[in-house]
Amino acid sequence: MSKYFAKRIGMALVTIFLVTCLTFLLMNAVPGSPWLSEKSPSEATLAALNAKYGLDKPVHIQLMKYLGNLLKGDFGVSLKMQKNRAVTSIIAEMFPVSARIGALALTWAVLVGVPLGCLAAFKRGKFTDSVLRVICTLGISMPSFVVASVLLVAFAGGLAVLKIFPTIFDPALGWRSYVLPCFSLGFYPMCYTARQTRSAMLDSLNQEYIKTARAKGLKNVKIIFKHALRNALIPVITYLGPQVAFTLCGGFVVESVFSIPGLGRYFVQSIQNRDYPVIMGTTIFLATFIILMNVVVDLLYKVADPRINLTKGGE
Amino acid sequence: MGEDKKMKRCPVTLQPDIENLLQDLSADDFSSASAEERADFIQERKSVSYWKDAWRRLRKNVVAMVALGVIIFLFLFAFVGPMLIPYGYEQFNKGAENLYPYHYTLEDQQRLDAEVAARTQSETLDVDQLIAQAKAEAEAKGEKFTKKDEAVIKAQAKVAAQTASDTPEADPNVIRQELGIKKHLFGYSVDELRRKAAGESVFPHVFGTDMYGRDIMVRVMYGARVSMAVGICAALLVLVIGATYGAISGYCGGRVDAVMQRFVELIYSVPEMLVVLLIATALKPILTEYVNSGGNSPMKAFVNILGPNLISMFIAFGVLYWVTMSRIIRGQVLQLKQQEYVTAARALGASGGRIIRQHLLPNCIGQIVVTTCLQIPSAIFLESFLSYLGVGVSAPLPSLGSMATDALSGMYTYTYRLIVPSVILSVMILAFNLFGDGLRDALDPKLKK
Repeated sequence: MSKYFAKRIGMALVTIFLVTCLTFLLMNAVPGSPWLSEKSPSEATLAALNAKYGLDKPVHIQLMKYLGNLLKGDFGVSLKMQKNRAVTSIIAEMFPVSARIGALALTWAVLVGVPLGCLAAFKRGKFTDSVLRVICTLGISMPSFVVASVLLVAFAGGLAVLKIFPTIFDPALGWRSYVLPCFSLGFYPMCYTARQTRSAMLDSLNQEYIKTARAKGLKNVKIIFKHALRNALIPVITYLGPQVAFTLCGGFVVESVFSIPGLGRYFVQSIQNRDYPVIMGTTIFLATFIILMNVVVDLLYKVADPRINLTKGGE
Repeated sequence: MGEDKKMKRCPVTLQPDIENLLQDLSADDFSSASAEERADFIQERKSVSYWKDAWRRLRKNVVAMVALGVIIFLFLFAFVGPMLIPYGYEQFNKGAENLYPYHYTLEDQQRLDAEVAARTQSETLDVDQLIAQAKAEAEAKGEKFTKKDEAVIKAQAKVAAQTASDTPEADPNVIRQELGIKKHLFGYSVDELRRKAAGESVFPHVFGTDMYGRDIMVRVMYGARVSMAVGICAALLVLVIGATYGAISGYCGGRVDAVMQRFVELIYSVPEMLVVLLIATALKPILTEYVNSGGNSPMKAFVNILGPNLISMFIAFGVLYWVTMSRIIRGQVLQLKQQEYVTAARALGASGGRIIRQHLLPNCIGQIVVTTCLQIPSAIFLESFLSYLGVGVSAPLPSLGSMATDALSGMYTYTYRLIVPSVILSVMILAFNLFGDGLRDALDPKLKK
């Protein structure tokens, strides 16, 4: 077990290292520099700026220096968007905003999606199943910007009667401003979870031990939630692990639509602005988070199904 | 034959009564079959091929067939549609800016204008008339009429007109309702209506136009074309890379497989969305610079034809999304390579490549088709996501995602501009998803639940 985790963590470190290098090289390959703006600075200023931030050195030396700093926990400072502010402090400010919305979104997605999937599997082939299937297929077919903008049109100004929620996210307005972003962020995961749960539940409802449970005279609720669901959770966990990281770091699109000052929107803006250290910092942060979640997922497998033997590759 | 056979034996026994059977047969029964009977026999045993069987199952699936119909319709819409419409996607139709997807007839508009004029008589004096009047007055007084005075009058007139239209009795919508003016399908500009009245044939703006007077229908068609092209090409790319990689990994096995699978795991744990976003952003300017760098080479021409943004998207997709496909193929190949026919082929001296191409891949064709088909909607999804964020397909080529972004600014007044591309995009992804699901059920009966 410990050997397995040592291997996993080693693998994770290699991945993070590769993502870091890849991002760094990609960023440097892009023509244009962060100093481009309407009033183009003079050659001397450019040279001075490049020297100050170490951009005049060859790429591999920059990369080495960056990796060295990274080990010390130094992500560098923003070059453009919030000049000279440490990237770590930017992430520390943006992440909680995204995380709050993301956590709410995923919570409702799981709390609704999993039971809906169970219901669909239990009522297989009946009317309820068909309706749920239509909704969920529709849900995974609508990009989040479609969901978000349709919600905006419907509930935030399109019709005077239904203008319930604010268009722009503002924590001062309380729960109202959370409703639309959380709904649109959680809609896709909800539908996906429901679909996954349904097919996994169908598998596990066909198993012998369910027959045994029925023969024992257990109630349906108990059969589904205690016996069948536990085994059906594996694919759901597999999906949700990386999804947690993604959602907590903010939907890129949803944050743009609702002008939420979160990490996702900031990442997209930093790409457009070529603010290298911010791009690097956010990417590494998110990548680490996702990779960490993958390790957590492995641990959760064991909790959901103690029969799983991780050391044997699980095949 | 044997109808008058008597049941003399113990009724419980399961043994066939051969002796009786033979006794009942006459010499006639051994004559050779007539041509008709032979034909009948062959008819009955008509072999059902894998694809025919799958097609039969697919045809029974109403949802999948409807989805297929929608896909074919969208395909025609995207690839044949633009030829039928006399507008280009980058054509600014003067005088047809901001058209709604509906219009009012010319007579109705005249009635409306008359009504508005009647209600707000004093305010709607012609600006030019006012200026002329003021000019005359000024000249009569012997003063100079300056540009400034003219501007003041214009501004006053504008304010007056605004307040006039703000007052409830002059609101065009209210008046239209009172007069019973109805909306008619499709957008026409006033000029186009006049030409139409004059007997010219004018193609309507079915979905209206945007702020520059570009026809939304044509733009949506081109957008759908881009989406479909990206979806299908990306899926094919994934198919080629994934199938090759998976088949080699599975067939070779052993150490080669172990190393190749480590690499797959590595790519699996890379945050896809993030890297795709990065690659698409970074490669686009690189490729653009490459195309613009002068000189001629076939590679450059190729990049130029497809456009740097499409290629960067393909690369992003090709780099990351083949892993699922490769895993599926590898699993299948691992199973199949134990079969006797593979051993036989190897004994006959077939090379590894030949065995993979001729024996292994054709045998997992079902899985390959299904996975490829389900890859299309996810590629379309990704393309629209990137375009929406402004790093995907870029102007002048329209994309459904970027059309939706453009529409955000006026989404309450011009909701249709947001709705039209969104609906087409969603329907397209939905149709591909449903068809893929149906295909999976049809090709892989084991999976059918």
